[in-house]
Parts: sequence; C-alpha cells; structure tokens
Amino acid sequence: MTKLSQKQYEWRVLIAMGMYTAYMLLAWPLVRVASSVAAKGMLALVPVVPMIYVIAMLARRIRASDELERYTHLIGLGIATAVVGVLSLVGGFLSIAGVMKVDGSVLIWVFPVLMLSYGLGRWRVARSYGGSLSCESDSALPKYARFLLAGAVVLLLAWFSRSSLDDMRLGVLWGAGGSFLAFGAVLGVVHWRRGSRGGARDGD
Amino acid sequence: MNNVVRELRSERGWSQADLAQKLDVSRQTINAIETGKYDPSLPLAFKIARLFGLPIEMIFVPEGE
Repeated sequence: MTKLSQKQYEWRVLIAMGMYTAYMLLAWPLVRVASSVAAKGMLALVPVVPMIYVIAMLARRIRASDELERYTHLIGLGIATAVVGVLSLVGGFLSIAGVMKVDGSVLIWVFPVLMLSYGLGRWRVARSYGGSLSCESDSALPKYARFLLAGAVVLLLAWFSRSSLDDMRLGVLWGAGGSFLAFGAVLGVVHWRRGSRGGARDGD
Repeated sequence: MNNVVRELRSERGWSQADLAQKLDVSRQTINAIETGKYDPSLPLAFKIARLFGLPIEMIFVPEGE
C-alpha cells in the first residue's frame, strides 16, 4: 500500500466530509418522509459511508506513520477514549437517575467528540515534541487558509439553507462557520508573525 | 540523551527534510531528535548511525557524559 502524502490525505478527507455535509443538508430531510422502514433505514445509513472512508484514511495514515507520529496518535486516541468514556458515563448516570433526559439521537455526537478530542490531544502531545499548529509539511493549503475556507463554505451553506433548515441546525452552521473563521484568523496572525520574524521553517 | 545529529547533518549540507527523507521519518521527528525532545528507538538509532557511517555511541551520548 503506497504512502499518501499529506496533501493527498487531506484532499480525500475533504471530499468525503464535503459529501457528508452535502448529504446531511440536502438529502437527510427525505429520511423523515420516506414511506417504508427499509427506505428510512437505507437513507439514514448513507452518511455512514463517507465517515467509514475517513476512518479508513486515518487508519492508513497511522499505519504509514513513523515511530514518533504513532506515539502521538496513540496518546491522542487514548485521550479521546477517556473523554468520550467519561462523558458517556456522566450522561448515562444522570439519565438513569432521572436528572436529565437523554434520547438516542445523542449518539450522533459520539464520533465528532471523539475526533475533536483526538485532534486536540494529538496536537498537544505533538507540541511537546516540537510540532506546532502553524508548522506546515506538504499540505495543500496553509492551515489558516483551510480554516478560513471551511468557515466561508459553512457560512455560505448556512446562508443558502436559511429557509429550509430549522433554527437549531441553522444555529449550529452559523456557530461552526464563525468558529472556523475566527480560528483561521488566529492561525493567520500566528503565521504572519512567524513570517515577519523570519523564523526558519526547517530549524536549521 | 544528548546527540550530535544536527552537527553531523550540517556537515553534510543536508536540511532536516533531506535527513527525514533518507531515514523515512517525518521532519518533525528529526527536529524532535535534534532538540533532544525525543530519543529514537534502537532500530532508528542504528539507521542514523549507519547513514552517518559512525558507531552509535559517537552519535548518542547519555546525559551527563
């Protein structure tokens, strides 16, 4: 199996996430109006396909990593497991005790929380070994540009979907888009300051 | 562990990216080794020694020695 470059990996994940987002916004509402249980089930499971592809890409990336990268992946996944485990325990006990009502739809948040915790945990560990958010390898775009682009795309989606989405979904899109833009702006400032200080990329 | 990887690399005019490619590791790993933040595994340390043509104990020295 050939090793994917960072650029190849990122483009594949970006396309899969784009397909997932487009399906959730445009086709997901059909699930509720589907006539048969079989049709409902099939339509409900379609978004799982790009997610499984992203997981497969992540596994391939970890497999092709060197020893230090594998260590950071391991720590990141350990942190993600701990976070999701604790949250599910807390939610489960509170639900059993009748303190709060938790329905099955909360399960949809398990994967995003897992990925977010894994990403943050891995970033923190990589930092302790000299890696940084603004340090780019052979990425297709600088990191700040990717966040700015993602923020712009999400806000555009929110704008064009404003009449067909409910308030909660619209709120999530506006919030996510704004957050991506803000984070991209912060990274852009960090990137610009590193450039203006003339910091050596290579540590030479 | 202390090491002289950076010095050996500079003598040969290689960048961190060059060395990373020769050893089939990431540039971040090379940087972490050179700055003393990460001690390589035995196989990687032997690979580094073979690349520079030196005994492993001339490249990696326990701290304090």
